[in-house]
Amino acid sequence: MSTLPITEAENASAQQPLTTRSDAPLLICLPSLTADGLQTMRDRIAAALPGQSLLIATPDAVEEKDSSDNITMLNLATATASDAGWALTASDYAAASHLAAEHHAAAILILGAEALSLSDFGLLGLADAVLAGKTDLALPRYKTGPHDALLSSALLYPLTNALFGTKAHLPLPLDVAFSPRMANRFTMAHKPDAGTQGSPLVWPVAEAATVAFVVREIEAGERTLPQPTETNLNALLAEIVGSLFNDIEAKASFWQRARQAMPVKPNIEPVRTITETEHLEDIRAMAESFHNAYTNLQEIWSLVLPPQSLLGLKKVSRAPAEEFEMPVDLWARTVYDFVLAYHFRTINRGHLLGAFTPLYLAWIASHLRKSAGDAALAAFHVEETAAAFVAEKPYIVARWRWPDRFNP
Amino acid sequence: MYQQIESALRQSIQRVLVVLVRFLPGILALLLAVVLFTAVGFLFAALVRRLLTAVRFDERLASNEKTGSPTNFSDWAPSHSPTLLVSRVVFWICALAGIAVGISAFDASYFADSQLSQFVLPYLTHILGAVLLLFFGSLVARFLSRSVLIGAVNAQLQYARFLSLGIKWLVLVLTATMALDHLGIGGVIVELAFGILFGGIVLTLSLAVGLGSRDLVSRSIEKNIEKPMSRPAEPSPSSESSEVPRPKLRHF
Repeated sequence: MSTLPITEAENASAQQPLTTRSDAPLLICLPSLTADGLQTMRDRIAAALPGQSLLIATPDAVEEKDSSDNITMLNLATATASDAGWALTASDYAAASHLAAEHHAAAILILGAEALSLSDFGLLGLADAVLAGKTDLALPRYKTGPHDALLSSALLYPLTNALFGTKAHLPLPLDVAFSPRMANRFTMAHKPDAGTQGSPLVWPVAEAATVAFVVREIEAGERTLPQPTETNLNALLAEIVGSLFNDIEAKASFWQRARQAMPVKPNIEPVRTITETEHLEDIRAMAESFHNAYTNLQEIWSLVLPPQSLLGLKKVSRAPAEEFEMPVDLWARTVYDFVLAYHFRTINRGHLLGAFTPLYLAWIASHLRKSAGDAALAAFHVEETAAAFVAEKPYIVARWRWPDRFNP
Repeated sequence: MYQQIESALRQSIQRVLVVLVRFLPGILALLLAVVLFTAVGFLFAALVRRLLTAVRFDERLASNEKTGSPTNFSDWAPSHSPTLLVSRVVFWICALAGIAVGISAFDASYFADSQLSQFVLPYLTHILGAVLLLFFGSLVARFLSRSVLIGAVNAQLQYARFLSLGIKWLVLVLTATMALDHLGIGGVIVELAFGILFGGIVLTLSLAVGLGSRDLVSRSIEKNIEKPMSRPAEPSPSSESSEVPRPKLRHF
């Protein structure tokens, strides 16, 4: 297995001219679409990648006549099609990898639900990144507002960046492109297990980072982000955060070694947060909710968090809505403490993840107040958070290695 | 006079010595049985631990468990290792068997007409049962009270702590009553006291929840009535039911 150095996850422009493409076909796996949707998608792909030999796999029924000179239509086994919808799971990667190996594809591109909303340049950028042969994993970076992809902004991106040294704003991608060797890696890392319930989530960035594969982030413009059908936020958080914490635990030997995280430098100056925003009433409700959580969950949090963090949270809970703020360094430490408690099973994992929800909602309240509805300010706050995670990384490394030195 | 005293003392010493002579083998048998069975238990436990480690029992079990599920074996095991739990259970079964065999041997070698083992052994098992009941009861009480507390806080209920305490005491009272009943202590008084206490806690909780969340319940009923007429699109996890309108948050 090659060990190319991890390069900085560049934001490649889709308009960049394509250098060299492989003659082997590109496998594109589509989600289930209507007949019209499938035709539209097929036309868009053909227009975006002229002359490229393509294999388009879909879980919907396809006929021989659908294929043309450059495009071969394939059936994607429905049994392995995504069961999450809003994110790609191990079964999606496995099905795509299997098809790619069968047809000797040069690269694989999986498009998630609502694929029609993905921009043409996003589609081209993802395909080009892996077809050029210099990238093993290409992840899209969609244009999001201050209220979008909050879990990624608060937790998934900062943690992935700090621990795995790869900058990917959406570590749980909806669309992804990868090389055949990355596909092999997915197949090896996530062998199907009849005993496990459902298809587990896959953290491709961590998989790529552990084998020093090249990861790139591609600007993909705006896209409709499908939301999970499960409406219980606590259950969803427990599933996703639990899965990420498990992955962090499994790859501890990798991130424990000294590794440079991607530099996170917000490129705009923070603007003084206005005192009255259109969401102040909502932030007030969220602040009150956090105050209630602090009063009630203090006993459980004290099993997980050190006194210093508890004191910090106390200050946060007492702050009025106009000044409500979860300091980014406190948030980073809190998340690291929860990762540690998850690893050491300080308390029942279900309880631990349940007790995490109010803290996450407090970060959101702080994010909403600081961003004040402005996408640039929101992006600044996200980068500020990511930088705090990088700065606090020695804390988790030390406590992971020597847990007995400190007990809350 | 002196001879009579001397004779009485001699006879009493002789009787004590006879008793000791009869008693010592029983004690020795008891100790031997306990030590032997404990050693066997230690060996079995080590064997089971090695065997389970070799077949990666912990990993296999963990891969089949769902995060947060109360039925997760690992969360209940010491040091969260099911292998350790199984090996310890094997050890203690052997140790307890040793104690039972020892008491039986002690009884056999002590007095021929003694019914010690017939009385002690069943009561010992009752005591053990009661201790286990108390142990698991307190575990379940803590687990349930935390579950209720976290669930209630996430549902933004103001009386989350009160609800959690109520659940905890309900389970603890139930456990204590079961343990006392198991030991045969208290009889009808315990049952009566339990009924009064349990009923009291349930009534208090019902009143507190009923009065405290009257608005919540009425809103919930209103929502359910209104839903079929103007059902909006599938709600996102962000737009959870809440009295305060919130910005459309998208967590994913």
